[in-house]
Amino acid sequence: MQYVLGVDIGGTFTDFSLVDGSGHITLWKEATTPQSPALAVQRGLLALAEQQGMGLAEFLAGLDLFVHGQTIATNTVIQRNGPKAALLATQGFRDIIHFRDGYKPERYNIQLQPPDDFIPRYLRLPITERINYAGDVMVPLEEGSVRAAAQRMREAGVQSIAVAFLWSIMNAAHERRVKEILEQELPGVPVVLSSDVLPMIREWERTTCTVLSAYVLPGISRYMVELENFLRENGFRHPLLIMQLNGGTSTVNKVMQRPIYSLASGPAAAPVAGLHCTKRVGMNNVITIDMGGTSFDVSMVTDGTPTLTRDLRVHEMPVGVAAVNVHSIGASGGSIAWMDKGGALQVGPHSAGAEPGPACYGQGGTAPTCTDANVVLGYINPDYFLGGRREILPELSARAVDEHVAKPLGLSVPEAAHGIFRIINHNMVDAIRVVSIERGIDPRDYALVVGGGAGAIHAGMLGRTLGMKTAIIPRYSGVFCSFGMIVSDVRHDYMQAFATNTGRFDPTRANQVIADLERRAIDDMIEEGFPEGEVTLARYADAKYPAQIHELTIPVPAGRPLTAADGAEMAAAFHDLHERMFTYCVRESSVDLFHWRVIAHRRVRSPEATAFPPAVNPVSIALKGSRRVYFGDINDYRDTSIYDGEKLERGMIVTGPAVVEQTNTTIVVFAGQKLDVNEFGDFILKL
Amino acid sequence: MSTIQTARGLEAGEGSLLLRPEDNVDPITFSVILNRFNTIAREMTLTLEHTSWTSILALARDFSCAIYDAGARQVCMMDALPIHTNSLHVILNSMVRAFEGKVYDGDVIVSNHPYSGNTHVGDFVTACPVFYRGEHLFWAVTKGHQLDCGAYEATSVAPSAKDVWQEALQIPPIKFYEKGEPRQDVINLYLANVRYRDMLYGDLMAQLGSIWNGRRRMLELVAEYGPDELMRYVEAILDYADRRTSEQLRSIPDGSYVGEAWIDSDGMGNTNLTVKATVNVKDDHVHVDFTGSSPQGKGGTNGTQGVMEASAGIPILCAIDPDIPHNDGCLRHISCEAPEGSIVKAKYPAATAMATLCPAAQEQEAVWKALAIAAPERTSAGYAGFHCVPSISGVDERGEEPAGWAAMFFNGGSGGGASMNADGWPLIMLSSGLGGLKILSTEMCELLYPFMLDYQEIEPDSMGHGRTMGGAGIRIRVRPYGTPMDCHVTGDGAANPPFGVFGGTPGIGGGNYRENLTTGHRDYCSSKGYMKIEPGEAWVGVSSGGGGFGDPLERPARKVCEHVRDGIIRLETARDVYGVVMEPHTFALDEKATQALRATLAAGTRELPIIQPTVPGAATWLRDNMREGDRYLLDPLP
Repeated sequence: MQYVLGVDIGGTFTDFSLVDGSGHITLWKEATTPQSPALAVQRGLLALAEQQGMGLAEFLAGLDLFVHGQTIATNTVIQRNGPKAALLATQGFRDIIHFRDGYKPERYNIQLQPPDDFIPRYLRLPITERINYAGDVMVPLEEGSVRAAAQRMREAGVQSIAVAFLWSIMNAAHERRVKEILEQELPGVPVVLSSDVLPMIREWERTTCTVLSAYVLPGISRYMVELENFLRENGFRHPLLIMQLNGGTSTVNKVMQRPIYSLASGPAAAPVAGLHCTKRVGMNNVITIDMGGTSFDVSMVTDGTPTLTRDLRVHEMPVGVAAVNVHSIGASGGSIAWMDKGGALQVGPHSAGAEPGPACYGQGGTAPTCTDANVVLGYINPDYFLGGRREILPELSARAVDEHVAKPLGLSVPEAAHGIFRIINHNMVDAIRVVSIERGIDPRDYALVVGGGAGAIHAGMLGRTLGMKTAIIPRYSGVFCSFGMIVSDVRHDYMQAFATNTGRFDPTRANQVIADLERRAIDDMIEEGFPEGEVTLARYADAKYPAQIHELTIPVPAGRPLTAADGAEMAAAFHDLHERMFTYCVRESSVDLFHWRVIAHRRVRSPEATAFPPAVNPVSIALKGSRRVYFGDINDYRDTSIYDGEKLERGMIVTGPAVVEQTNTTIVVFAGQKLDVNEFGDFILKL
Repeated sequence: MSTIQTARGLEAGEGSLLLRPEDNVDPITFSVILNRFNTIAREMTLTLEHTSWTSILALARDFSCAIYDAGARQVCMMDALPIHTNSLHVILNSMVRAFEGKVYDGDVIVSNHPYSGNTHVGDFVTACPVFYRGEHLFWAVTKGHQLDCGAYEATSVAPSAKDVWQEALQIPPIKFYEKGEPRQDVINLYLANVRYRDMLYGDLMAQLGSIWNGRRRMLELVAEYGPDELMRYVEAILDYADRRTSEQLRSIPDGSYVGEAWIDSDGMGNTNLTVKATVNVKDDHVHVDFTGSSPQGKGGTNGTQGVMEASAGIPILCAIDPDIPHNDGCLRHISCEAPEGSIVKAKYPAATAMATLCPAAQEQEAVWKALAIAAPERTSAGYAGFHCVPSISGVDERGEEPAGWAAMFFNGGSGGGASMNADGWPLIMLSSGLGGLKILSTEMCELLYPFMLDYQEIEPDSMGHGRTMGGAGIRIRVRPYGTPMDCHVTGDGAANPPFGVFGGTPGIGGGNYRENLTTGHRDYCSSKGYMKIEPGEAWVGVSSGGGGFGDPLERPARKVCEHVRDGIIRLETARDVYGVVMEPHTFALDEKATQALRATLAAGTRELPIIQPTVPGAATWLRDNMREGDRYLLDPLP
């Protein structure tokens, strides 16, 4: 029997999705072990093996694919517990990370302290050298300045080095030579070059990307190499794949060459997780939401392609590379409701977390949370929270809502709880708007796919507010991202700067640039063990009007050498895209092309899905009973049917108002909505 | 948001702040609608930033977007420049008056007219009314600083312009669109009178796209709630801001507080002009009176009504809780006046091209200083003005055909002032923008324009010292390739450095010069003026850091050691100003010696001065840095 496995380390739980050859899915959750994350992974593997009635070695030997989303990189940056790192910069430009882009976020808050420099100034060392915009050497590399810097770093005990020179994207010779010198001077200390990690114009973004890379590299190498060794020693026969922030996977070796891709690794699997369950019912436009323990993450898929962004920031520092656009806000079951100084109700972004947790946990939390509101409203069954694994004290929820919200606002407790419900819904709707409406995309043409245990309580309201027609709660909703990982392709991004213009397009040079990038892509894939025939290559270019500043990325004809005529074709593609996004274009203008991009995919085979047989029973066999549940349409409680989700069969229809309960997920079906189960066992909520 | 608030208002007996039953609003709907307006304003901002064609809008973000009701009361502004949005209603009111009874659905009204309430000629305003079923409910408005406005020289902030006809094409409120139809003849007239017309066409489209996007979203909002319900909530939102502002202003003791600031020069050789502000606080109202300021200048360094109203309000809005939504409910608590013919409010037809930079900065500075007496913990030390931000232009011969180029170059900008609890930020420049302006990437600059940057680094000891420190100043050098570069310096605050408060010291003031790269000869220039930079020469700016706040002897000694280690301040500064002694190579703190030195310095003092300096022209930077043979140019003309 062959299996594929996805493992995602989250803040509270480490999720496992195991799919066997016949499409049967096994889901597992293991409490995360923050001090030693590998421990939870190992425990989960043992538990899964045992469930399958196997020893670890037999289980691992039967695994075809092991994809892992880790939080080591992100946590290292957030907790700032990485190595002592240094930055080598072009002389005169070592303060780039201090100046940032000159922007201060909270305009009128004069009491806001500026962010700390990620690398202190004494470890930002100037190197005498300069290259210009055309790649010409204006000041030759002064090797003495590199050796002097090495001496300083040796004295300071530097453990990881970022090198980011101006215009290394046009000529990387200086950065490369510096790396050679440092390998002699400081053997064993990792050196990360900006021309390797992000050969893209704009030195601040490139520098921060390089700095973050150097900062996370030692930690993730240690973790990933150890885990890979553990797996190999215990019988796993394939390379371990790591989920990357570009939404694809990679072998451990390649991630260590481009460590920035190891950041924000888990949530990047969300779009593919969403697409997996919509594609099989014929939908290619998806908005995914994942309401977890501390955050609410939104991502988007248009025409079957996840939306990526180059504006992702960690610690206020741009990551620079294309990353899955996961918009995250502090909205979760633990989000705390509070009154601002003017007496307006707010919910989040602060979370009661796992400790003390919502008031109803009875662990000492007194602040009302979203979960408390959902308990008061009757959406959450106090006797069946997490399938009855956690005890809920509803009277504590009511007390917290009463004291902190109802009394100050002069409302009844249910009204106040419903207020919390509405505010957090608004915040989540706003987050969905940010990734959709604010980019001119109408969410009404999209399916809403719901991940995370709490999401399905709210999904009906969120989808309705946005005018969406369908929400899908997949069978793997509770371990959403770990499932997404096993259906994610291997992906590598390559890019090279080469300035040209569609009016005087030079196919010879462009073809050289593209051929270089594609050769590297194929070589990398082969080195990772994927045959050339399984690799697909897509080409893109960053384009803008000559006078314009911000670029749009357009597709470039693939699979053949470019000809002079392709200049006009790429120009037309840019005009069209510009018009679609910004309502106008300047068709008579030529178009500047700057970065050339190649994206290599090695497709994974989706696991088979079990087809569920049509229901033979009436829906009433899933009816558990009824309870009082509060609904906004009548501003009151009403007797509401409660269904057991595990007993709902394909084709059964639950008509709202109703609540459907499963071990890890509660679905609220609001008045006017209908829920049914499709052939794959996914819940389809008609809004 | 970093702190969790509970119902503190109630416990403190501040029940009047809360939404009241008599307001008859649902508190939840209230929050939802308030946030929706923020989202709409943010989307307008994104549209403008991402579609514009010049670096001043697309990269530096010298623009603002805001929403007004039909009566030109501000409903919402997000992420905008205070100098624009605090007085955008003044020019909007002129537009309303100009087309009284003739505002139609589908109109776009524009203006740059300083004597109709605009800030200065560089700022181009686009506004469209939002009609719902025939009823005019809102205005969507943008203001964007244009790269050019048709002045006699290639700058939109000409300090040497002598009158309105030299500074720009004057555009009183005029329709570019009527009932949805473009008035192409009028648009053509505008574009025919500005340099770089293609780029400015791109920017115009961006400013139109922004307001049209705003209108689209507001129509969705009205459709959702209905006009009556929505406008009731708009009223509640304004009242809410009003009540909270009122409460905050009441906590400032009633009285008359005076602050004085000085302008380096009027751009025409007249130096150290005074801006005086008397800040009258009564109950929940602040009235700023600029009587006593110098007579108007002879060039473009003059104030407008729009700039005065914005500037008077900026420090006041910073003194109230930053989470109060900014709208008419706050602005209505602030009023101001100045005698016509003064440098704060010039008389037609005087040029006012520089207004948003200078005297704007000094108007704000005078109010910050008055606040230092009225509400010490809520003021700021001095912001380091706008100097070292030249408008540069020339001809680019790198391509096949020579092409004109121009940029407003923010990268050497000066630092922000320190406050009670925070060090200043770098590159904030003047408090007109408060950090809303971005700098341009060096590589983008070198790709777009024919020049090279040699360095852009923190200038040690450029900032004011104190318990909290000013943001750092910057040393920057720009060298043209092949072709000469026109360089219009359009700033202030070099001779009159950013002030320190409560024992904090001033920033250096700094300066700028043209350097001959062969001989090393330097021509120092005042903070306003024109220099041609030939190939083989470079423009060098050394901007000031912001002012310091509080007694430097109270700054944590370990932090001071780190500053020396990092080369941000010198060892001597640590010793003489901060009273910190350290090992000069390892920068290890000598606690005992520091304690002793701090005790001696404290005993030797002196009451801590509330403000320093207290006299005009106090900067010594020029004197300290000019060498034998260097030249000084005061307000050199083109």
